[in-house]
Amino acid sequence: MKIAVAYKWAPNPQDAAVGADGSVDWSRAKPAVSEYDPVAVEVGRRLADATGAELVGLSVGGPDVASPMAKKAALSRGLDSAVVVADDALAGAGTTPTGRALAALVQRLGDVDLVLTGDSSVDAGAQMVPAVLAGALGWPALTDVVAVSGTAGDLTVERAHAGGSQVLHVTGPVVLAVAADAVVPRVPGMKDILSAGKKPTEEVPLADLAGWQTAPVEVVATAGPELKVRKGQVIDGADPAAAVTALVAALRADGVL
Amino acid sequence: MSEPTAATGPDVEPDFDVIVVGGGIAGCVTAYRLAQAGRSVVLIERGEAPGSKNLSGGVLYSRVLEQVFPDLLTSAPIERRITRNYVQFLNATSSVGIDYQDARLAEPVNAVTVLRARLDAWLAERCEEAGVFLMPGVRVDRVIREGGRVVGVRAGDDELRAHVVVAADGVNSFVAQEAGLREKPPTHHLAVGVKAVVRLDERTVAERFHLVGDEGAAYAIVGDCTLGVGGGGFLYTNRDSLSVGVVLRLDDLVKRGLRSTDVFDHFLGHRFIAPFLEGGEIAEYGSHLVAEGGLEMVGHIHTDGMVVVGDAAGLTLNTGLTVRGMDLAAASGIAAAKGIDEALTSGDTSEAGLAGYRRELFAGFAGKDMETYAKAPAFLERTRMYEEYGLLLGDVLHSVFDHDLTPRRHLSQVVRSELKRSPVRLRDLLSDGLAGVRAL
Repeated sequence: MKIAVAYKWAPNPQDAAVGADGSVDWSRAKPAVSEYDPVAVEVGRRLADATGAELVGLSVGGPDVASPMAKKAALSRGLDSAVVVADDALAGAGTTPTGRALAALVQRLGDVDLVLTGDSSVDAGAQMVPAVLAGALGWPALTDVVAVSGTAGDLTVERAHAGGSQVLHVTGPVVLAVAADAVVPRVPGMKDILSAGKKPTEEVPLADLAGWQTAPVEVVATAGPELKVRKGQVIDGADPAAAVTALVAALRADGVL
Repeated sequence: MSEPTAATGPDVEPDFDVIVVGGGIAGCVTAYRLAQAGRSVVLIERGEAPGSKNLSGGVLYSRVLEQVFPDLLTSAPIERRITRNYVQFLNATSSVGIDYQDARLAEPVNAVTVLRARLDAWLAERCEEAGVFLMPGVRVDRVIREGGRVVGVRAGDDELRAHVVVAADGVNSFVAQEAGLREKPPTHHLAVGVKAVVRLDERTVAERFHLVGDEGAAYAIVGDCTLGVGGGGFLYTNRDSLSVGVVLRLDDLVKRGLRSTDVFDHFLGHRFIAPFLEGGEIAEYGSHLVAEGGLEMVGHIHTDGMVVVGDAAGLTLNTGLTVRGMDLAAASGIAAAKGIDEALTSGDTSEAGLAGYRRELFAGFAGKDMETYAKAPAFLERTRMYEEYGLLLGDVLHSVFDHDLTPRRHLSQVVRSELKRSPVRLRDLLSDGLAGVRAL
């Protein structure tokens, strides 16, 4: 029995630069395992240990997904093995091809009743892949998952919910998107990284996956949010009393007070 | 179980032949060479990826690194080949410089500008190809000592053991200090570098510095750029950006009660510097310690089970005209790998067994240059360099070029009268001149 965890080898937004026209330059951004994905790995690890399942990492993306650094970074967080598709055609792929390629990989893997994902990717943050992945597999998807127990195929799932929580009993295969604060993921130590270097990883050629490229959804354009035009009125605070009077007058004039 | 001895090291079977701590140039070269020699090597790097903790680079005198990577100039992320060196005395309202441009510096290539975030990542990749086990994102907490020798390192709850540990963790080498090889360096041996990478487009860089193709310029500046603090300013051209900043001697900075960031801002805003940067966008900004002690800072660089390389070993040189570190780091990596390989073959990794590293280092250009320039740090502590000389030069040239309708005088008379007005005494000039000739 296998539990799959989908993870993304994603550029770090801290190193991205946003141009004056709203365009994003990722060229200087160093990749890493997407920030929230280790939470999903940790949830998967605990469940796999409790049920004796094998924990398999799945990732699709550009060629660097298969780099030794990327594999070690993912495997050192508690996965037993990894299966990746690393192809130029998937470099920077959007949510639809990514979700579909992951679904094809899950089907190819077989013997999987549970796929875990992080809350969202650190670079795009669309929160779409779990739903696309589940849709392509014909499985249900649950998001904001804070706790999972039971065995894959027969799970008790707790979701964070506005003003409380919701507990569901799920039978059959399911995709669960784990909330970012569900558990605190482990920080890989030297021994974890060493053993990660010895764990099996399989690289699947993109040509072996069927149906990933038929994308009914296409991104037409992306744009930054429009900034509201502000008055930019500055009140001199040298004399505090006068400044307060001026501030109150200004707020009254604009009908705020 | 028998106690480990200084020569043979840990009784427990070690995880690797060699542990290298720090993935900069010295660490990568050491690891790469040892892996090539068939040794098992782990390279531990604090940053999530090699280069990610590195505050860019500067000028790399590239020939030595080419010995390790013959394809360096064609495959590595090199920014520009330096063919133009500009030495500048910068005053508040005047500037005197020597502009040295030479086609011979282009072929064969002598010096290049690099951005370390890119170069270090490339070096680490080469290490991995050679069989080095790369371990990023790990901060070493402690050095493990047993039976009086270094046997490994500890990070968090984990220990790794090896026959030899290499401290390649930079100017403030915590690993070398832990092993008792180094004291914290005194402040007059340390400087703080504040730098920014300012992005411009490639054409603008070429136009502003009169460059053709991938040729580049390096400016070494003293004077008002540091507000008179011992140290200097620099300005290097990258492909589509400029590396610009100041290096300030810590003791002098503190004595004058100045803040490094204020000095840096003053430099960037200087009327003769600002035009180079106009319209640029700051892509990176930060500060870093720089070793300036020269030979005095090198001291002990090997002990039982450990060697120290690169900045960690104090291997940096400031000759006033050239500032070097990366080439010395590469040279120390080559020497360390040779010394360690020999020690592993002989089975003696004690201080005596590893002494080949020091011999190799001081037989080559790196050790010899450290000895040649041993007096440079003391010379560069002479304060007149940073204020009076630039002003004196500026005033002499002003008298020559300013035709204010007074009758002209011979140059020797002009120099004499400007010298008289300047706080510099002829005696100082002769003493500094003589010291300079001897030290540099």
